[in-house]
Amino acid sequence: MKHIGAAELSSVIRAVSGRIGVESANLNRLDAALGDGDHGRAVGGAFAFAADEIGALPEPTIGDIWRTTAKALLNRMGGASGALFGVFFLRGVPLLRGEDALGKAEMGALLQSGLAGVKARGKANIGDKTMVDALEPAVAAFLEAEDFGSAWSGAALAARQGAASTRDLVARQGRAKYLGERGIGHIDPGATTVALIFEAIDEWWGMNAE
Amino acid sequence: MSVRLHKLINRPEDLVDEMLEGFCAAYSDIVRCGGDRLLLRARAKAPGKVGLVMGGGSGHEPAMLGWVGEGLLDVNVVGELFAAPGPEQMLAGIRAADNGGGVLICVSHHAGDRLNAELALDLCEAEGLDNVDMVLLYDDISSAPKGREPERRGTAGLFFVWKLLGAFCEGDAALASAKALAEKVRDNTRSLAVSLSSCASPISGEVMFEMADGEMEIGMGLHGEMGMGRRKALSADATVDLMLPPLLEDLTYQAGDEVLVLLNNSGSLTLMELFILYRRAAAKLAEAGISVYRSWIGPYATTQEMAGFALSLCRVDAQMKALWDAPANGAYMKQSLGGLD
Repeated sequence: MKHIGAAELSSVIRAVSGRIGVESANLNRLDAALGDGDHGRAVGGAFAFAADEIGALPEPTIGDIWRTTAKALLNRMGGASGALFGVFFLRGVPLLRGEDALGKAEMGALLQSGLAGVKARGKANIGDKTMVDALEPAVAAFLEAEDFGSAWSGAALAARQGAASTRDLVARQGRAKYLGERGIGHIDPGATTVALIFEAIDEWWGMNAE
Repeated sequence: MSVRLHKLINRPEDLVDEMLEGFCAAYSDIVRCGGDRLLLRARAKAPGKVGLVMGGGSGHEPAMLGWVGEGLLDVNVVGELFAAPGPEQMLAGIRAADNGGGVLICVSHHAGDRLNAELALDLCEAEGLDNVDMVLLYDDISSAPKGREPERRGTAGLFFVWKLLGAFCEGDAALASAKALAEKVRDNTRSLAVSLSSCASPISGEVMFEMADGEMEIGMGLHGEMGMGRRKALSADATVDLMLPPLLEDLTYQAGDEVLVLLNNSGSLTLMELFILYRRAAAKLAEAGISVYRSWIGPYATTQEMAGFALSLCRVDAQMKALWDAPANGAYMKQSLGGLD
């Protein structure tokens, strides 16, 4: 497969929603150590809502799907993470105007614009123990890869490693910042969600690309 | 090992809506429920006056429901449990607060509240709503050191902003002067909290963080973010003696200053404990030559059943004293005409 069209993109969002739904309790547990213990419930609910809304759209374009996902995350998730995951998708919406399929280069540009939006809004950089620790290396790995398939697997691996790296960090943004050194030893739930998203897409690609 | 508490709720997913329904039913003379989880005044402000909108996660009742009413806020945008409402819900709140005199979005500083307010401002711009601005409010001295005040969190001490700003915007103030007044109150306000126990999420029933018996933590935020450090729990007097010096030093309150004092109950302290704590605080303030203009004691911003309290001070001048004594009618903040004298 060289391009992702609207039907495939809907299926990808459903796959992401399914994966986060399965991991929801784990995400809540991670969040209980650093936040208020509801991250899985919030992000799982918002992605499930996005998948349902997309399912109800008659003949959506890829832009419609991306925008519907952005709005579901922005308005259904709440808190800082809802705003930031929402901005990740929202930033890409103008890039998709008039597009009916995404090649690897277009997908790379979409991911890059989302990352830039998250960093600008959240004022977070690598090492701050946030979703950026998983997202930035994932996007870099995606861009470096030669083809679509290896781009997703590289991104999934980089995101998971990035999420794991947050275990030893002291948070410098978000609610966990106020934990100081007591946050050391706990993986950031937002970074874990980023890893789950890329892993779900990589898995989807493995099953659907041929 | 996790501890569970039984909470008297129905389905967790109905928690916020059912709370709002109950609140609006109980105080229908003061507030009404709009759509989109908006809490509005029963009677809107006169046209042309600055509208005040405040968004925030729920779970801290009576904050912020109790602060909507005449002489106070116009609209509270109610979020999920401990989670700021999203930008479109904020936009709906801004529209509801718009009386033609501009709207000020009051943000109690937490990452989610700030981000969603900024996104709501972007939406306002995109929709041609101009005359809307936001003000970032914070008071907790334990959340960032002196000199880095804008990184601090908003906690119980914003009590003073709601009352003074609410009174100010009953007059013919312009949006820019309303924002300046909010900043003036903020810059004269400092808070520090102490907690003695954790609390349970009403959704999961699980305790939100671990806290050993016989310990206390100084400087804990509204959500149980950990603060300046844990120590063996002290007596009432020793606790106040530990809290007041950093508070007074942070703003360099001086002999001759007049202050408003709030002793906010975080959840399950008894009034008996609060009065004993206040006794010491009042004596120590008098010793420092600082006079108390008005004092308030009670549960104004809570975190479920957490045992703890916050001590908040706001330095006031003649303008602020007059605003404090102006009438207010919210479910949890009432002030009759001419104040208490």
